[in-house]
Amino acid sequence: MKEKVSRRKFLGVSTATAAGAVAAAAVVAGIGGYLGGQAMAPPREVVKTETVPVTKRIKTGYIYVGPVGDFGWTHAHDLGRKWADQQFGNVESSYIESVPEAESAGAIENLIRQGADLVITTSFGFMDPTAEVAAKYPDKYFVHISGYRSGAAGNAPKNMSSAFAEFYQLYYLNGLAAGAVTETGVVGYVAAHPIPEVIRHINAFVLGANYSYKRRTGRNIKAYVNWLFSWFDPGKTRQAATALVEESNADVLAFTEDSPTTLQVAEEYTTQKGRRVWSFSHYGDMRQYGPNAHLTGQIVHWGPIYLEFYRMVATGTWQSVDIWTRIGDYMPFRWRQPVDKSTMGNVDGTLQMAPLAPQVPSEWQQLIKARYEEMKELLFEPFSVEGNDGVPIRDQAGEARISGNQRADRDMLWNMNWFVEYIESELPKV
Amino acid sequence: MSLVAVEWIESVLIGAVQAGTVFLIASLGEIYAERSGVLNLGMEGMMIVGAAVSFIVTNALGHGYAILAVLLAGLLLGLAHSFLTVSLRLNQIVVGLAITILGLGLGGLLGNAAIRRGIILFLNPEAPERNLIVQEAEKLPDIPIPFLRDIPVLGGMFFRQNGLVYLSLILAIVMWFILFKTRFGLSLRSVGENPAMSDAMGINVFRIRYISMVVCGMLGALAGSYLFIGYQPFWVEGMTQGRGFIALALVILATWNPLRAILGAYLFGGVEALQFRLQVLGVAAQLPQFLLMLPYIVTIATLVLLSLESVRKRIGVPASLGKPYSRE
Repeated sequence: MKEKVSRRKFLGVSTATAAGAVAAAAVVAGIGGYLGGQAMAPPREVVKTETVPVTKRIKTGYIYVGPVGDFGWTHAHDLGRKWADQQFGNVESSYIESVPEAESAGAIENLIRQGADLVITTSFGFMDPTAEVAAKYPDKYFVHISGYRSGAAGNAPKNMSSAFAEFYQLYYLNGLAAGAVTETGVVGYVAAHPIPEVIRHINAFVLGANYSYKRRTGRNIKAYVNWLFSWFDPGKTRQAATALVEESNADVLAFTEDSPTTLQVAEEYTTQKGRRVWSFSHYGDMRQYGPNAHLTGQIVHWGPIYLEFYRMVATGTWQSVDIWTRIGDYMPFRWRQPVDKSTMGNVDGTLQMAPLAPQVPSEWQQLIKARYEEMKELLFEPFSVEGNDGVPIRDQAGEARISGNQRADRDMLWNMNWFVEYIESELPKV
Repeated sequence: MSLVAVEWIESVLIGAVQAGTVFLIASLGEIYAERSGVLNLGMEGMMIVGAAVSFIVTNALGHGYAILAVLLAGLLLGLAHSFLTVSLRLNQIVVGLAITILGLGLGGLLGNAAIRRGIILFLNPEAPERNLIVQEAEKLPDIPIPFLRDIPVLGGMFFRQNGLVYLSLILAIVMWFILFKTRFGLSLRSVGENPAMSDAMGINVFRIRYISMVVCGMLGALAGSYLFIGYQPFWVEGMTQGRGFIALALVILATWNPLRAILGAYLFGGVEALQFRLQVLGVAAQLPQFLLMLPYIVTIATLVLLSLESVRKRIGVPASLGKPYSRE
């Protein structure tokens, strides 16, 4: 009810103002036609422009690749949608779930025909169809998640933006925790597909694990990766996680896959088979699936990104952007805090580090928090010599990829196709 | 052979049985359907409904009722299939695919957070709050069999598993016996060979096909419930990931024989288990993808063999597979 009142009030205010100020009326694009009569006034009468708080009611549509369900990638996007809707208020949003990539263009056009002003597509495979439809409807707005095409990047129409919430910093911090608790000195990773996003997450995790393990023991960590070649398959994931524990002796298992299966397997080993195995949360809080095996994890909150696009569209201030959020972005307070006041573990901006298990020794808890705080100001970068405890980061062939005071730049992160030297498994060629 | 190698092989074989049982149960059902002349392409849908039902009912009432509910769901799906294909004589391929699509949708619907909450509360108003929310359910307990469980390798494979694994093996033997050693089995096979002749001999073709399809539906759903409560108890929409269709390929590989299906199922399951263990060993990273193809290559090779008339005769491929029967 509150929304309706404010909307009516807004209409009253803007109409009154527009009678005197033609320029202001022009800003109110949505009701421009409505005011056509008043706009006949001679231009010299415009003596000043007033800024009117303008938000029009917008319609947004989302295209999801999977079922909304109550878990995983699509669920996280749907939580983001609900959050942005609730924050913004004056919006009507809808979604189409489980859209196959081949049918996405039709689904996007469907939403446009239903009156959507803004369409948000949330899977990598939707990128080209989104750009095609964007070219066809220049007066509508499009946001694509997890791709690289946008007006800002110059490879898509101006009414298309791209966005992503990036996890590699959190994976590095997760790795620090892993290296701090591993007894065997071996960590495992169940990974979906060998694409740059997953590869940089694996590398970041292993770099972190090596940092703390080497500080503890003086030895390098060993890491094994099992590829599923699928975004989700609980059955295969069970085999992959089991193989990592039994064949490589890993006692910490990270994963990029759309179910908490790895955490469930770790819980089974820990509580039933007398073997301490740790795992993580991924995308959502998974603690309930492995209360005894949960070390920490990576959680995403898409809402703030969506809210920003709502605002742009509603106020007519659209600008094509390429958003790639890291720790610090969208946080209400972006300054580094002292360790004892660290906001790590809170919902903060678009990313959240899942709560750290108390078994992580306190000195490492301190370091992890310190790094988290430093990353708010980008004072620390995992892919740097500092992130690798003072030695250059080498790939499996021994070639130094990052040395001196180099840091990984966006291109390196986006195109990463090599494994750090501590990984024993081979990277499949795709 | 060193002890490490034995342990490695044992781990692969245990994984093969655990991953393969879902294929075994499903293919046993499919063998009966196809032996009677009905091609059931709805296996994937029956499986996912079984998985969804076992997920929900386990959280409401526990494993026992879950299995009963799964069998009932499978029975209904089998009845629906046979009504459409046997009584109405609709195209079996179309009906089968329709049941797969229906099953995938129904599974998603049942698994939906709000709906499953409602069903669980309806079945058991006292269900703990956690059971209403989580996407997992209690896994079937392993029941180690005294003495036998200590046999090297075989003990781990066959005698330290859960009840559904044991049941699948017993079923394979019993169903083989019925199919090849009893009068009913003979009737079933003859219906699949030549329904008109069987009819003339006084066999009730429709009844046999209904029975086979219902058995197939029940086992398809049971296979899905194994995938969930017996193997990896986490619910995701579409979690069967094509396993129903793999079971169809397996039926061909097993040449419509329940005992050969055991071997075939563990071969398919073994591929699932082996690929990750080889990855850890660092055997060429491309190999997993090749391994994933292997069962299909073997299946195609089997099909090629079956195209030979002499082989077909000897194995007894159901000659009327996929053909609706009507009395002239």
